[in-house]
Amino acid sequence: MIIKVKNLVKRYGDLVALDHLSLSVREGEIFGLLGPNGSGKTTAINCILSLLKYDKGEIEVFDQPMTPESYEIKRHIGIVMQNVAVYNELTVYENIDYFCGLYVQDKALKKKLVDEAIEFVELGEYIKFYPKKLSGGLLRRLNIACGIAHKPRLIILDEPTVGVDPQSRNRILEGIVELNRQGATIVYTSHYMEEVEQICSRIVILDKGRAIAAGTKDELKAMISLGEKITVESYGISQEQLSALKKLPNIVSVEYNNSNRLLLIKSKKGENNLETVLDFIKKEGIQFGKIYSELPTLNDVFLEITGKDLRD
Amino acid sequence: MFAHIFMYRLKCLLRDRETIFWTLIFPLLLAVFFNMAFSNLNNGETFKAIDIAVVDNEQYQEDQYFRSALNEVSQGYDRLFNLVVVSKDKAEQLLNDNLIAGYIVVETPLKLVVNKSGMNQSIIKNFLDNYIQTVSAVNSILTVNPSRQQELFNDLGNRRQYVKEVPGTKAEPNNVLLYFYTLIAMACFYGGFFGMREITDTQPNISPLAARINTAPVHKLKLFVYSMSASLLIHIVEMLVMLMFLRFAIRIDFGTKTGYVLLTTIVGSIAGNTFGAFISAIVKKSENIKVGILICVSMAGSFLAGMMYQNMKYIVAQKIPILSYLNPINLLTDAFYCLYYYDGFLRYTVNIGILLIFVIAFCLGIYFIIRRRKYASL
Repeated sequence: MIIKVKNLVKRYGDLVALDHLSLSVREGEIFGLLGPNGSGKTTAINCILSLLKYDKGEIEVFDQPMTPESYEIKRHIGIVMQNVAVYNELTVYENIDYFCGLYVQDKALKKKLVDEAIEFVELGEYIKFYPKKLSGGLLRRLNIACGIAHKPRLIILDEPTVGVDPQSRNRILEGIVELNRQGATIVYTSHYMEEVEQICSRIVILDKGRAIAAGTKDELKAMISLGEKITVESYGISQEQLSALKKLPNIVSVEYNNSNRLLLIKSKKGENNLETVLDFIKKEGIQFGKIYSELPTLNDVFLEITGKDLRD
Repeated sequence: MFAHIFMYRLKCLLRDRETIFWTLIFPLLLAVFFNMAFSNLNNGETFKAIDIAVVDNEQYQEDQYFRSALNEVSQGYDRLFNLVVVSKDKAEQLLNDNLIAGYIVVETPLKLVVNKSGMNQSIIKNFLDNYIQTVSAVNSILTVNPSRQQELFNDLGNRRQYVKEVPGTKAEPNNVLLYFYTLIAMACFYGGFFGMREITDTQPNISPLAARINTAPVHKLKLFVYSMSASLLIHIVEMLVMLMFLRFAIRIDFGTKTGYVLLTTIVGSIAGNTFGAFISAIVKKSENIKVGILICVSMAGSFLAGMMYQNMKYIVAQKIPILSYLNPINLLTDAFYCLYYYDGFLRYTVNIGILLIFVIAFCLGIYFIIRRRKYASL
């Protein structure tokens, strides 16, 4: 195991930030820690990195207990913080060189690694720029380069795409997948379920400091009863028709929004749910426009388990 | 690792314009303002020859003894008077125009005309009284014993001083030095800006940057010491620039003990840097509040050491003497003062000794606060 966390408890006064959290990260995977803001993702990362004291639990990294003095373990960890953590007085190149130099002392090797990191985050044109002159996206890429330049075995990225434009976000996500392909184990925290769903091979969903679900995205989706979401653009439907629709096989819930005239039907897992709904609409003579069906997302998983939306 | 951290720290700090402003430019600007404000303060201590006139009348031309006495004190570099011999009307006009302090009319008795009282007028009167007294004494002696005329004139030429002036120091009295010494002490403590930044960049509970650094495989205390060395080097160089500026541009006299002046400055710089780091480590508030505290404490210390009002230093020494020893800026100021004025080193040693105790206390405080490796919250 790259990381093993057992029964981790962290309290801030009366607030339980981590409530007997257990998780394990396997070598070579992209491990996602998904949860809304305040769910304990960053606290968990800070405990794993031995920056934060915790009340109870065990943390092992590379099969060894993690302590602030575990310099040999730290040598193989790369960290990309939620907040950009670079020196404003150093140029792009100097920042990457400085942080890489804290891990690698061989000058020739360090130079090679720094050049590779710059190439990886595509900041070659900006090496003489100071961070204040960089856009938000470029700054995030610099933040990542500072964390990964020393080629760590384990890279922890704590919400690295917060406040980043979609183009830069995609580039960052592609980069993370590439780092994983090159052999690094990734721990990725985010409250953006699309990102986690896009890149993570295994996911733990956190809520109020507890791991409420864990598995691959398919395993997580299999945990819930929701099988399909059917949305119908409908121009008029009576209460009787809505009640009849609810009684169809596999249908879990039916909602009609008068303002946008959208009929949202949630069904259990099962075959031909869309066909059944379409047959009903035709039989009842309900006028409709667009109609489409979606598979459940991680947000639906979170919603079904906690009763609230992941974005809340 | 030391070279890597030290060199990058130098780059970072030298490019930190705000800190360089507060630690170098601001004290230099204050020095220039002080120089402009205090340039005339010492003039009161320097004697300037007094402008007087004597009325060119018949009695003056006939009284060769008085003429000779007056000319004697109106010649040379250290003369008492700038003398002009003019008509009575001209003398009156000069007096009315305040171009002379007074004019003398040689008649019986000698007459001094002034239009106001003051130090210069008193000096002229004193000269005339002295002359009249001497002439009277000579006349009396010659009347009684005319044969001893030569002996008497010899004696008059060799006046004896019965009170000997023994200077407490070789240093010239100077009213403005203390202001500049407090300014140097304040600049030393503005080095606290560097110390403060070192803590900010080391403590993960203060900045994300420090959190990143704390995840690196480098011992935290080593990192702090390496970075602090860079801070100290920059600040000591800044202080040397300031000393040279004061010495050669503003011509501030530091006395003859140059080596000790440098040593005092270095100790002051270390005290200032560690003080800033201590404040930053102990105060769990925002960066702005910490900067505010550093500036307030430095300015209050400078005020009590006499930076804004010279006598404050003596008032504090008289009324609350303990405060003189608890104010590190006063200790530094006093150390410079001792080096300038006193030949002995006792008072200087006491000042530097107490200052070093402060440095040790600050360092211990910093150590006990930053040695923590894990934090309750970030």
